[in-house]
Amino acid sequence: MARMKFICDTERCIECNGCVTACKNDNEVPWGVNRRRVVTVNDGIIGKEKSISVACMHCSDAPCMAVCPVDCFYRTDEGVVLHDKDICIGCGYCSFACPFGAPQFLSSGAFGVRSKMDKCTFCSGGPEANGSVAEFEKYGRNRLAEGKLPLCAEMCSTKALIGGDSEVISSIYAKRVSVREANGRYPSKDIFGWSTAYGPMDSPAPKPTPAAKIPGAKS
Amino acid sequence: MRFNLKTIGLCLVAGATLAACSEPPEIAAKAAKRPDVAPYMGADNGFMTKGWTPKDEKSWTESVDKRNQNQSEYSRFKSSVKQ
Repeated sequence: MARMKFICDTERCIECNGCVTACKNDNEVPWGVNRRRVVTVNDGIIGKEKSISVACMHCSDAPCMAVCPVDCFYRTDEGVVLHDKDICIGCGYCSFACPFGAPQFLSSGAFGVRSKMDKCTFCSGGPEANGSVAEFEKYGRNRLAEGKLPLCAEMCSTKALIGGDSEVISSIYAKRVSVREANGRYPSKDIFGWSTAYGPMDSPAPKPTPAAKIPGAKS
Repeated sequence: MRFNLKTIGLCLVAGATLAACSEPPEIAAKAAKRPDVAPYMGADNGFMTKGWTPKDEKSWTESVDKRNQNQSEYSRFKSSVKQ
């Protein structure tokens, strides 16, 4: 079974924001919510400026799942972390727990009321029937069920952002790195966020810390 | 008579205070969590790609893998040279 992941190649990302636009348009994401965004560091410094497209990393040991008080998250067989908006209470705990800022909330109502959480679904919808109107209205497109991959990755003009089966995309990235190294450029094999979110390749998901080892936790 | 009224009063107070004990457990959220349908089952919305059979996991995996490889310009270049 495939284990779906994203990789963003910082040497290729040109900060065009095409992935952001494609995601918003295809999933009809409301104003004020960005499931994907491009982050630039060292902006304007020649030779040091790097951009990276960030969204939900669909972590193997997702902290959002761990902290959700109503247990609305679930992981599909393809390794995609999804949530049920009918259960979500919009508390925002997942937003604080996520190291990538993936969970997003609309806060346009009176008294700063927050909406239910919205995040990248790896274009695989939610618990509603595949491709149904109800699924689209809550979660956006279900491209995986249509035999496609996430639009942000598929339409990336420089192929900086690639998404799909982790083994395939990591082999694509490894090929690029080896070509770069052979050309004497960018000798780096590190991928930003990969080891943080996913752990080393072929490693099982880490076991949660026992309650006995957490100060103040009830077992 | 006075004793009876006191007993009835106590019973009413006990009934009111113990009413919460009969409330159903509030675990509706967990019960409402629905299982998702696997993507290889396909989507009945007219946007499905061709070349794979819905409900056939192997067929879906092969199709998505092929699409996945299209993200590598090295493999795309190779396939275009063959054609």
